[in-house]
Amino acid sequence: MRRFILKRLGAIVINLWLLATIVFVVVNVLGGDIGRKVLGPTAKAEDVAAYNALIGTDKPMIQQYFTSIKNIFTLNFGNSYQSQSPVIDLVLPALGRSAKLAILAFIITIPISIAAGIFAARRQDKLADRVVVNVGLGSSSIPEFVTAAVLLALFAVHFKVGKVYANPPAGTSIFGQLEYLLLPAMAMVISYFGYIARMTRAGVITALHADYTRTATMKGLPPGQVMRKHILRNALAPTITVISVQIGYLFGGIVGVEKVFNYAGLGTTMLNAVGKQDIPVLQASVLIVGIIYMASTLLADLLIAYLNPRVRLDAGS
Amino acid sequence: MNRSQLRRLKREVGPLENELIDAYAAGGVSRRNFLVRGSVLGLSVATMGSLISACGGDDDTASPDGTSAPDATSAPDATSAPDATDAPAPPAGEIQQGGTLRIASQRPGSPLDPVAMDNIGSYTPVVQSFEYLCGKGEGAALAPMLAESWSPNDDGSVWTFKLRAGVKWHKGGDFTSADVVAALGRLAGANLSASITPDSVKAIDDLTVEVNLINADGQFPYLVSPYNPQASMTPADYELGTLFDQRPDGTGAFILDTYDIATGATYKPNKDWWGGVPYLDGLEILFSDDNATQINGLLGDQADAVIQFAVSDADALFNNDQVTVESIRGAGHRQIWFNVREGTFSGENGAKIREAVALGIDRQALIDQVLQGRGDIGNDHPIAPVYEFWDSSQPQIERDVERAKALLDEAGVPGLAITMHAPDLQEIPLLAEFVQSQLKDIGMDITLNVESTATFYDRWCKVYDSTTPPAGCDGGEEFGIVDYGNRGTPDRYLVAAYATGEWNSAHYLSEEFNAAVKAYQATVDLPSRKEAIKPVQQIAHDDRPYVIPYFYNTLTAYKKNVQGIISTGLGHYYCGKAGFTA
Repeated sequence: MRRFILKRLGAIVINLWLLATIVFVVVNVLGGDIGRKVLGPTAKAEDVAAYNALIGTDKPMIQQYFTSIKNIFTLNFGNSYQSQSPVIDLVLPALGRSAKLAILAFIITIPISIAAGIFAARRQDKLADRVVVNVGLGSSSIPEFVTAAVLLALFAVHFKVGKVYANPPAGTSIFGQLEYLLLPAMAMVISYFGYIARMTRAGVITALHADYTRTATMKGLPPGQVMRKHILRNALAPTITVISVQIGYLFGGIVGVEKVFNYAGLGTTMLNAVGKQDIPVLQASVLIVGIIYMASTLLADLLIAYLNPRVRLDAGS
Repeated sequence: MNRSQLRRLKREVGPLENELIDAYAAGGVSRRNFLVRGSVLGLSVATMGSLISACGGDDDTASPDGTSAPDATSAPDATSAPDATDAPAPPAGEIQQGGTLRIASQRPGSPLDPVAMDNIGSYTPVVQSFEYLCGKGEGAALAPMLAESWSPNDDGSVWTFKLRAGVKWHKGGDFTSADVVAALGRLAGANLSASITPDSVKAIDDLTVEVNLINADGQFPYLVSPYNPQASMTPADYELGTLFDQRPDGTGAFILDTYDIATGATYKPNKDWWGGVPYLDGLEILFSDDNATQINGLLGDQADAVIQFAVSDADALFNNDQVTVESIRGAGHRQIWFNVREGTFSGENGAKIREAVALGIDRQALIDQVLQGRGDIGNDHPIAPVYEFWDSSQPQIERDVERAKALLDEAGVPGLAITMHAPDLQEIPLLAEFVQSQLKDIGMDITLNVESTATFYDRWCKVYDSTTPPAGCDGGEEFGIVDYGNRGTPDRYLVAAYATGEWNSAHYLSEEFNAAVKAYQATVDLPSRKEAIKPVQQIAHDDRPYVIPYFYNTLTAYKKNVQGIISTGLGHYYCGKAGFTA
């Protein structure tokens, strides 16, 4: 297990380096004058040149690249080109806000979709099952930002339930924050519900028809115990994998939702950084999403091994 | 006319003011323009009132300048003297003490450097605290702000500003002439470099400042007003490049409390404000990147006001009885540029193509369809009808499809196919589509390339470093649309877009035009300014480096229960006298 974890951590470092390189290349391929972007169209050429010298964007590309990689591995992300504030001061609060939204979305999504999946599996091919499957298919086919826009127009603007600006003012209580975050969270819930519910349903159906379930039932175990100890334990392994992977997707999909609700999370930060070619902020944001994605898949592997003792992570290594 | 009173009043003022008074008394200037021009020359509201009375009043409806649009006059405006003692206070009992006003605004597009900021998203948070020597008055007039009064010398080359006594900085200490000298000194190396040098400004005493201009300028007070947003007064030790959010201070009605570029800014009221204690308990500015969020915020009761938006985004606001939409006439416009230095639009044939484009567009239809009627027709020069010296006698160009087609034939390019570049800003994409459609009637085949503002302006400004004069911003493209915001005077348009080449997308160079602009700038009285602007308008119109289809009204909106907001049409929102009705 330890060897597996070390190997995965090593792979994460290599992946992060690749990610940082890709971001650097892509942003610089886009071209453009960073100083001009920051200072605006009316700034004088000499001011633009001075600004580029200040932030180092007048240096040769290869020098900028090595500086940027070195900064990442020394956890020194530098200052934002745009605001001149330390990147970490911009990215960490944004990450906190995105995490808050993502956690709320997960807290709502997971129990609802797992319950719906089990409910449907136990009524396989009946009306309830068809409803869950088709609603799930439909909801997961709609992009998060479309759902978000519909929720915003319908609830926040028309019915005045929920908020257009999802950023809660400083000092808002936890329950107060729910009012701000509920609509964007629901946009993600609607998108992720179907996938998780259908995975749960499929896993539960497989487990329901498995030999071990039949054996457990014939041994005379109570149905609740069969469900908990035999069906769910086996059926939820692929669901947990899906959920873990969804964490990574969630931080990607959140970009559109944050944009619609003007939520100052990591997605908005990334989007603004792209528009302004704020490379330090973009690099830090993308790396954070990358770390979350890789960490969540590693966590999924570990959880699967824990839930299913037949899985040996070191096997074949 | 009370001649003795008039003579007495004339003795109290200088020659420039006397010329204005004579022009008004002779009926050559409308009352509205007299008030505007008088405010620029530093005549107090009381003095102008006495003069109007001595002259027997005037019927403003005869104004030849087109400023009688109801939109312009219906704006609630508390600026004619933003002083606690003589400000036109809202109707008694209407505005209640208390409440937090939430303003939906564009996110700052650049750091909050009071001298270098260049977009409305940055102006809004800064000007809640940092004020100007001259403020916004009614319409295009100026009003006292940090300067209680000002006056020019005989030829407008020296201006003396009397500062308001008792003004305190938020961080402590008095606002004095030392602050003005330092602030203008910094601006002499930046935004005001064409007008003053660091040695031009001297303190006569603690509350008097004298400004010696490089060239006489009868409109100089506009350059130290919100119409030149970068010219706010900052403390004496506020170095160039200092950011407002990192070192908040100011003399204004609101004190910066928190600032987060991701979400917005909050302010506390300045109880020591020279204008009196604000009605509001707090001010909150909500940042977002698009008009749609701001408008939805207003409709969803999460914002009380939206600073500026495009007509095309705002149907829901126009039809909402809970919202007041203010339409402010101004000089903001869009320029359709042609590269006249080289390529398709240069030379004799290029001139014919430019004229064909000018004749091919239906300006009134553009105003009706793109602006829903909220704008003034353009005549291919940047002098808007709201300017008091606008030459209304110049014939207006009309659509003539047949003539336009003939011109394209003469130029040897019937069915000319070309790409038009434009930023995705407010109504500009819609304007581009209508222009594309209208010019199809004359046989032109236009491909549109509408880009995000971020990429457009990045490209647009690329040719700053061009060594072939005139340089100017065009992104390396020969045909496109670019935006110009409202200004109290057209000087910035004339100098930057036509004369010096800083924003000269057309690469237009005309010694005749430059001389006409210089002559116009040297004028200090209204009659001579009216004469001097004629050749400026005519040359720009005839040479046509830009087609200017319209001057748009700036739109701003707030809830019906909000009163007292002052908007400049340039992104400033003054809330010192604003509040909520019951």
